[in-house]
Amino acid sequence: MKTGCSGWHRLLAPLLALSASVALAAPAALLSLPDFDALAAKATESVNISLDTSLLGLAAGFLDSSNPDDAATKELIAGLKGIYVRSFTFDQDFAYPEAQVEQVRRQLAAPGWQRLVQTNNTKDHTRVDIYVSVDRGVANGLAIITSEPREFTIVNIVGSIDLARLHRLEGKFGIPKGLTPEDQDGKPQK
Amino acid sequence: MSDNQENEQLEQRLRTALRAVDPGEAFAPRLMARIAAEPARTARPARAATAASWLAFGLAASVVLAVILAHQWQVRRLEQGREARRQLLEALRVTDEKLNLAYRAVNAREGAAPAQHSGA
Repeated sequence: MKTGCSGWHRLLAPLLALSASVALAAPAALLSLPDFDALAAKATESVNISLDTSLLGLAAGFLDSSNPDDAATKELIAGLKGIYVRSFTFDQDFAYPEAQVEQVRRQLAAPGWQRLVQTNNTKDHTRVDIYVSVDRGVANGLAIITSEPREFTIVNIVGSIDLARLHRLEGKFGIPKGLTPEDQDGKPQK
Repeated sequence: MSDNQENEQLEQRLRTALRAVDPGEAFAPRLMARIAAEPARTARPARAATAASWLAFGLAASVVLAVILAHQWQVRRLEQGREARRQLLEALRVTDEKLNLAYRAVNAREGAAPAQHSGA
């Protein structure tokens, strides 16, 4: 397996440094996602979410500021221009066209995108790519592409997001908990 | 006073009251002019009253329609907002899940590296 970084905090550090201030979303941060509609019928589980600025604003309006978790989520999405998620799970290995996933990966080779993490485990056929879009030294977008034999996920976040804040929301709203060392050891990782 | 005298006096008063009076030469043209003018004067308020009724009905209907539309818009907005909130939380859940997948992959590599190094 290859990797471009190590550890949860080291994974976040470059992005946190870059996302100190909110940037105007450059169009480059918005990926062109293929039409995966046909896959939804084949998939056992599918997530297709497209939240642009107006829908994010609408969602923010339905977060209760007096509730700490909702308030934290509101802060988290304050600098965002859009969140786009495509995730499909299948009951057979490699039931999805990898070419379409590759097509999205190729977009990350464009100037402005910087690789944050890349892991490719040939043994279990798991590949994870995390890229950050940087404009004039400020992070204005994030792309996560994971492909596994029975699942692939593409996340494209346009705008500045504080991943440490997202991580703090773990265990709330169905965000999974217990996967990181903090949860396993009961103390934060140094 | 006898009954007979009373009857005569009553008859006399009636005759006086109901005597023919010459209305004058101008009466007929004045009457005709008034008759001619009368329908126009009465028709106008009738039309105005009808228009006012329609206006009132229209206003009432508009208010009811506006209330119904506002309610429907509010219900739809509420549904959209709840759905947007649900999608937002789902998107954040998936994002965090995949970041954790990356973390695990990176961490596995970190753990594997010293073992490889010590075995070399």
